[in-house]
Amino acid sequence: MAAPEWATREPCLMGIDEAGRGPVLGPMVYGCMYCARSYHDTLATLKFADSKTLKEEQREELFESLKDNSSIGWEVDVICPKELSAKMLKRSKVNLNEISHNSAMGLVKRALDMGVLLAEVYIDTVGDPEKYRIKLTEKFPGIKFVVAKKADSLFPVVSGASIVAKVTRDRALRKWAFDETAQNMHMNTGSGYPGDPATKQWLEDHKHPIFGFPTLVRFSWGTCKPFFNNAVEVTWESDEVEEDAGGNGSCKRQVKLSSLGFSGFKRKSEEIESSGKGRCKFFQARKLELNRRFQ
Amino acid sequence: MEREAATAGVTGAVDLSPAAVDLRRVHHLPCGIRQNGAAAVSDYFKPKDTGVEVDGMRVEEAFFRGRKLQGATIALPDGYRGYILEKKNAEKDKQHLEGEVSNFKSRAEFQNITYWNHDTTPSAEDPLPRCFHLLTVANAMHKPVTAEELANMSSMQNQSNRH
Repeated sequence: MAAPEWATREPCLMGIDEAGRGPVLGPMVYGCMYCARSYHDTLATLKFADSKTLKEEQREELFESLKDNSSIGWEVDVICPKELSAKMLKRSKVNLNEISHNSAMGLVKRALDMGVLLAEVYIDTVGDPEKYRIKLTEKFPGIKFVVAKKADSLFPVVSGASIVAKVTRDRALRKWAFDETAQNMHMNTGSGYPGDPATKQWLEDHKHPIFGFPTLVRFSWGTCKPFFNNAVEVTWESDEVEEDAGGNGSCKRQVKLSSLGFSGFKRKSEEIESSGKGRCKFFQARKLELNRRFQ
Repeated sequence: MEREAATAGVTGAVDLSPAAVDLRRVHHLPCGIRQNGAAAVSDYFKPKDTGVEVDGMRVEEAFFRGRKLQGATIALPDGYRGYILEKKNAEKDKQHLEGEVSNFKSRAEFQNITYWNHDTTPSAEDPLPRCFHLLTVANAMHKPVTAEELANMSSMQNQSNRH
């Protein structure tokens, strides 16, 4: 995609904001909006208030008008819940702040790659504003970054970005197609916040003892924890290593997967992987062990 | 000697009479699931082809309990079949006091096994594909030695002795 012609000639301002950072389900969306510096005064008259203070229909309307406005450019980055869960539950975990920072930086990079002459970027903070500003400046020297709390209510260009993000997330949820083919799934998800009775009911309706939830849910969220307490226990090697590294003094039993390789034999006491002592190296390396001698 | 006895495994009998279910492929997950029994796998576990190929294996992607898994499918070699065994109630066999005796019955069969790694791309160096080396080794070890092979061996030995 190429940038609009004006964006490659005139220094531009960009606002970046996010929608759906907190909810336990659905995508997190980062949106940006940009315009020429000379257009900024006009932009301020367009009533792009903070998206949270607007009704859904107003946001939809504003988004449509913003799309039709040839003096404005915009982009989104939709991070699906699968990706959020997977990153936060990786062997080396990526936290939500880092995911957010990377998404915002991805939008800046995308605009630069398209040829947008970015002069200033306004962005709602995630974590400490000053640290975030330094991180952004180091990554993109030559751009002036303004990182602030509640940037969406301070800068019209961020309010616009907030509408882009929020409308994109709402639409993604409205037309959500489940990967799962289980029966009786629905989309009355509520806000996705744990205090919302609709969200609680949705989680209750969609929990599964083995699979947990459909992949619409962010499995790494604390909101899910009580549900997993009642589900079938699942143990991962990466978690156990972490417990070990935590070094809380007590020698935590290291439950390893005995079922790797061809042997799925559950030991009487614990599911502990055999040390391989006494076994030939060939078998050790392949995690092979003799379980039972069949007659 | 005692250790040998301990590592030699326990004795069991297995009933491989035709199973009712042909699963075609089974999934081997990198986690312990503390549950035995049926699960709605095809409704919730949805592998997708990534288009990537490593060591001749097509890499698939799937999610379980929020974790991203990458998997590869291995077809069992010709002449081998996979079985899902169910342990029958262990009756203590008085004649085999040395170890636990248990009996198994085949509940399902499969020809392909998809093994899944958490976070790492499958490769031929993973333990599971390497397990199949055993079949080659076992074949070589158990293949009867022909008279011709014996003759060749002894003539080779004679040659090396002369030098």
